[in-house]
Amino acid sequence: MNAIGVTTAIATGRGELFTIRRRYLATARLRVFTLIALFCLIALGATARIAWIGIAQPGTQQVSLSESLLPPRGEIADRNGVPLARAFPSYALWFNPEALGETGTPLIKSPEKVAAELAAIFPDINRAKLVAHLKSGKPGYLRRQVLPEQANKVIAIGELGLELPRENDRFYPQGSMAAHILGYVAADGHGRVGMEQVLDKRLNDPATRGTPVQLSIDMRVQGALEDELGRAMLETDALGAAGVILDVDTGEVMALASLPEFDPNQVVSDDVVLSQARMDTGEMPRSFNRVTNQVYELGSTFKPLTVAAAIDAGMITDVGRRWQASRPLMVGGNRISDSHTIGASLNVPETLIHSSNIVSAQIAGEVGGPRLKSYFAQMGMDERAQIELPARGRPLGMNEEWNHSKALYAGFGHGIAVTPLHLASAYAAMVNGGIWRPATLYRVEPGHAAKGRRVFKASTSARMNQLMRMIALYGTGRNADAPGFRVGGKTGSAEKPGRGGYRRTTLVSTFAAAFPMDRPRFVVIAMLDEPKGTAASSYQRTAAWNAAPVVGRVVPRIGPLLGVMPDDTRDVDITDLRPLVGDEG
Amino acid sequence: MSFTLRQRSIGWAAVLLVCLALFIGLTIKVNSVRSEVRLAERRIIQLERQKMVLETEFQTRANQQQLSDWNAVDFGYVAPLARQFVEDERKLASLGAPRGIDAPEPIQMALGDGEDTGGDDGETLLSMVSPLTGQAFGPDETETRAAPRDAVTAATLGERLARRSGTAQLRSIAE
Repeated sequence: MNAIGVTTAIATGRGELFTIRRRYLATARLRVFTLIALFCLIALGATARIAWIGIAQPGTQQVSLSESLLPPRGEIADRNGVPLARAFPSYALWFNPEALGETGTPLIKSPEKVAAELAAIFPDINRAKLVAHLKSGKPGYLRRQVLPEQANKVIAIGELGLELPRENDRFYPQGSMAAHILGYVAADGHGRVGMEQVLDKRLNDPATRGTPVQLSIDMRVQGALEDELGRAMLETDALGAAGVILDVDTGEVMALASLPEFDPNQVVSDDVVLSQARMDTGEMPRSFNRVTNQVYELGSTFKPLTVAAAIDAGMITDVGRRWQASRPLMVGGNRISDSHTIGASLNVPETLIHSSNIVSAQIAGEVGGPRLKSYFAQMGMDERAQIELPARGRPLGMNEEWNHSKALYAGFGHGIAVTPLHLASAYAAMVNGGIWRPATLYRVEPGHAAKGRRVFKASTSARMNQLMRMIALYGTGRNADAPGFRVGGKTGSAEKPGRGGYRRTTLVSTFAAAFPMDRPRFVVIAMLDEPKGTAASSYQRTAAWNAAPVVGRVVPRIGPLLGVMPDDTRDVDITDLRPLVGDEG
Repeated sequence: MSFTLRQRSIGWAAVLLVCLALFIGLTIKVNSVRSEVRLAERRIIQLERQKMVLETEFQTRANQQQLSDWNAVDFGYVAPLARQFVEDERKLASLGAPRGIDAPEPIQMALGDGEDTGGDDGETLLSMVSPLTGQAFGPDETETRAAPRDAVTAATLGERLARRSGTAQLRSIAE
């Protein structure tokens, strides 16, 4: 074809050359046009795209601000709105051995050196375990819930293998404080043990999780109670301690502590389940709540309740009446006696001040088994403790019919085992004018307290307030008498039951108090499980020397926070009872 | 005739075109504002989260146990005693000592209420004078004067003390 073209071009000369040139020009022009058209098309497309974005805004979904700020799990706050548990995007420390490539060593420095540097940032970390983990070359968490500052320090180590992924975690800013109230969130995202379990549905519901749940506890009061209980527990080398502070008029729990406690930020398996061998030694898992779940024979702290029942039932019309106190009572072959002979006879204030078992039993005997049981049942002691927490202990000794001998023992707190919370609610009813209300962990708005039920007459309650104050002024509760706070309360040191009867060496020391006694506002219970006689407790094991001082130290710390001002010029009027205990002054 | 008609249609078309251009322009503007709002929202969310993180970190560092430990080691503060509280005017009065026999009369300060000093002379003295005209500004031009203070009586003092400012302050800090 070409050969023919060339031959014709040569043959036709200049005319042919022009035709070729014109053809080439046309082709070039066509190419230029195509190029321009292409550019125009691109420009048009871009303009259309800009117009489309400008006008229709495709692909932008309007996500509302509140929806974005909705936490993945609702917040729990104290009564003043201070957060106690919140969803928190915290850092975790993850070891990724493949960060430097699949071959070669996972770390630049030696594992020992990295472990030493990490231990400088996290002093509580187990160094030997950490070195073993880093040497093993297996990926895994080295630590969770790392603070931003600590995270910066970890980055400064300069190891690529140490990664800091952000995780949506449950965080408890106060650490182990109020752990038994709050509980924790397990790996499955659901709450365990405390209010995290109770409120699980509400905290996960998108409709309700935006607003924090306000509990009744006051963080500062809780801190003071745990601080003082922890101190007493260490000082007396006790197995455990428990304490509760209750508003007598509403039943709100202001603080509730069970020691030893666990850290909900770092729950370990020992906190939840213990081996059988350790359980056999009497040890309990740390997540076990001694205030609501463990029942104790609380001993002498029951004596005021017995006296209140006797006054209320009309058995005691004159508190100056005397009962013999020198001869032990024989009940079914067992003796009811006092630690020492207090006197030939005692009246009601003396009975409580010196904590006489013999007279308390006689008073209980006069009230009678069925009637005493009915009073205790009205104070909620025939059912599980009334509170929202899931773990609640069932009292022992309330199922059978109460005969005379049972009443004698129950009169001074033996043969009946209840939780410290039962005792707190009963004391609240005794001092607040006689109305029993269930304890609650939800904040109660003023004027919205539960209706409750009347257990004692108001006159009985007023008399008991005088008697309670007298115990703190003249009796075993003197160490709890915080100046100006008008504390009233009763000690209780009960032997723990063991195999073949009571063990004289193991005590449960309790102090049950209320303040201010001229207008009771709060009940405080402090309990120590198996305290030892140490120098701090003057080598004594009874409640007057270990539990009562706890109340004496807690009340001045919490009183002003709860609106109770100390005042040396005020007190409950006990002038009519003073002569009965030989105080003529 | 037909020329006018054509002119008119061109006119309409032009108006339509202008309207369309304005509409497009407006829409683009609206959308640009909308995306600015969205960016601002995103920034708000980011800041809120940052605030939450900082707040939580602060609370963790200042948790009750930590404060108590610091107090035990560094400060040694103890709970206030009864005599450190003044609950009512009776208690306040009890802090005063009776006057000695030869003691001079106590100096009593008179506290005038706002209306007494607000006479004509006082008005001129307190008014601002214009630097140009030398005229005093009218009452409407001057700033409204502070409301006269309430006279201090036993009742108001009692009320003030009864407020227990210490507790109120503590509460506001906690909140």
